[in-house]
Amino acid sequence: MSRVNVVISSLITLLPLTAVLFLLREAVGTDVWSLVQDETWRASLAVTLYVTLVSTFLSLVIGTICARMVYVNGRTWLSFWLNWPLFVPHIASAYLFYLLFSGGFPGFGLIASNERHHLVVILTYVWKEVPFVFLMMLGSYAQLNRGYRDMAKTLQLSPWQQFSVAEWPFLIKPLLDSFWILVAFISFAYEVPALLGVTFPKLLGVLAYDRLTTGLFLNESEAYAVALIWALILFAGVLLSYALTAKRRRRIERGVRR
Amino acid sequence: MIRIVKRCAWLTALLMLAACGTERAELAPTFEQAAEEAAQTTVNFYLWGGDDGINRYLDEFVAPRLEAAYDIELNRVPMDTAEFVRQVSLDKRAERANGTIDLMWINGDNFRNAAEADLLREDILDAIPNAALLNETAQATDAGIPTEGLEVAWGNVQFVLHYDADKVKNPPETFDQLRRWTEENPGRFTYPEVTDFTGNAFIRHLLYAEYGDAMRDMDTIPDEFWDELAAWSPNLWKRGETYPKSLAQLDQLYASGEVWMTMGFNERRAEAEVNAGVFPDGTRALVLDHSISSTHFLAIPFNAPNPNGAVVVIEELLSPEAQLMKQSDTYWGDGTSLDVEKLDQTDREAFLALDEGVTYPDPIELAERQIADYGPDVIDLVREGWPRVAR
Repeated sequence: MSRVNVVISSLITLLPLTAVLFLLREAVGTDVWSLVQDETWRASLAVTLYVTLVSTFLSLVIGTICARMVYVNGRTWLSFWLNWPLFVPHIASAYLFYLLFSGGFPGFGLIASNERHHLVVILTYVWKEVPFVFLMMLGSYAQLNRGYRDMAKTLQLSPWQQFSVAEWPFLIKPLLDSFWILVAFISFAYEVPALLGVTFPKLLGVLAYDRLTTGLFLNESEAYAVALIWALILFAGVLLSYALTAKRRRRIERGVRR
Repeated sequence: MIRIVKRCAWLTALLMLAACGTERAELAPTFEQAAEEAAQTTVNFYLWGGDDGINRYLDEFVAPRLEAAYDIELNRVPMDTAEFVRQVSLDKRAERANGTIDLMWINGDNFRNAAEADLLREDILDAIPNAALLNETAQATDAGIPTEGLEVAWGNVQFVLHYDADKVKNPPETFDQLRRWTEENPGRFTYPEVTDFTGNAFIRHLLYAEYGDAMRDMDTIPDEFWDELAAWSPNLWKRGETYPKSLAQLDQLYASGEVWMTMGFNERRAEAEVNAGVFPDGTRALVLDHSISSTHFLAIPFNAPNPNGAVVVIEELLSPEAQLMKQSDTYWGDGTSLDVEKLDQTDREAFLALDEGVTYPDPIELAERQIADYGPDVIDLVREGWPRVAR
């Protein structure tokens, strides 16, 4: 049984590798320099970074605050409400927000879909990802040693100091995990920006798909090249961020065990 | 240990079986034999799925008839055309002899790409008895490219605009007037992005208004054309900062009243939408200076697993009954690809007796203003040049 498990898990581990190899094969022959100079791709990268980082940051902050409210302040009703968006697929939520913001919504005019500020795209992602972050952080809070908080309180630290000493160190790892999952997902996703975004600049996933499927680009490798480069950048980012925090995380983990 | 090796061997064998497929499926020599071979099989029909009327026509009318007459199950797979052409081209490169697609709906640049990459079966026209009824002009070329028997004409339509007469009191009559109309009614008109089939065709109409047939011999689209188009943008929906990604999205904007005009190939397409209450009751057709006529086709990929079934489905789709229902306003309103003169008298009269819809344009006017498409090269030029307009 365990052997079968090993085989299955190694097969699963091989999948992303196969994907990278496939991308590599397809991307061969791309003129990377002209890609870098292509204004459409550059604008796309800029707007992708903006949308991805803003939505990820907001989701992390709001999700963590919600988890803290449940765990520390006992607002358990929050978990009930925050479960709902999890059951709505991304494409359905994109459509929901499209219906709300394409016209007729009370705040219409102030914020609308298909505008270059991409606020509705960000809003959709925040609505979808806050529950995800919430669940990740709720687990971390559940494992948190209450003793640290009690000690911080006994030492009469301010609420902010209590958080930064007794909670924050234990949240770094799960926050980092959530951060990369969200960044990787949002930066190359299709449905939400396709429905709520604009013609120019398009987010990376939408532009790549466009380039891949229009007849003109049938034989072009640049969409694959962009996917490959982006995957490598994310991979490097993951390695770097975990390496930089490794020492700190190890110390914390040891501390918990003791 | 041996057990593991055995297991691995099994797994490898299975994987190889799945990857390679077997031999390429062959077409039966006669239609009768093809129908016999195809009984109790499924035909995977890949086609653009963005129009409810078309989908319902296939699901509610064609599929039951195929089931009853030939015992064939029709599996309609909605997908963007370029995407499934890509899929077949990947199959070709992987030398996959047994694919997944039996039949596809295709035309224009997608046909050119598929033909250039050798993705289509060549021997299909002789296998289909009803192909003898086809309108020969429609069958001969696809957007200027000779079809050479690689595809079979399914329908024949023209490009028209539709507008809401309750909101648009003085509809424009030329593309120039349309432009002036948008200046007076900013935000009430837009067209799909040019990666979309319809959006690209709209730009080709503007090109024709500017350069006429001279464009056929031009290698590039002059910069002035794009500058002028960019200058038009601020009067369009959302100040021209964004465009609907697809015709479906434009139709939705039109249905909700946000814009007052929509467009598309097929002069009869709005009738069913009005009857279903989706489009406003005041919807009327608008034929401007000229209108590109376009034929759309059916083709069988080189590695169709069930080519016999596909041939039977094409035969059924080309039958006068199926073509008549397709042209009527019940589902789709798509012009027939058959030559009505070749039909027997009852069928011919049935076509002539089809009701005139309120959203149909004047057929004589439409016929007078018909022009031939520029072809795929201009489609590509539009795709290359247009992005600067949307910036």
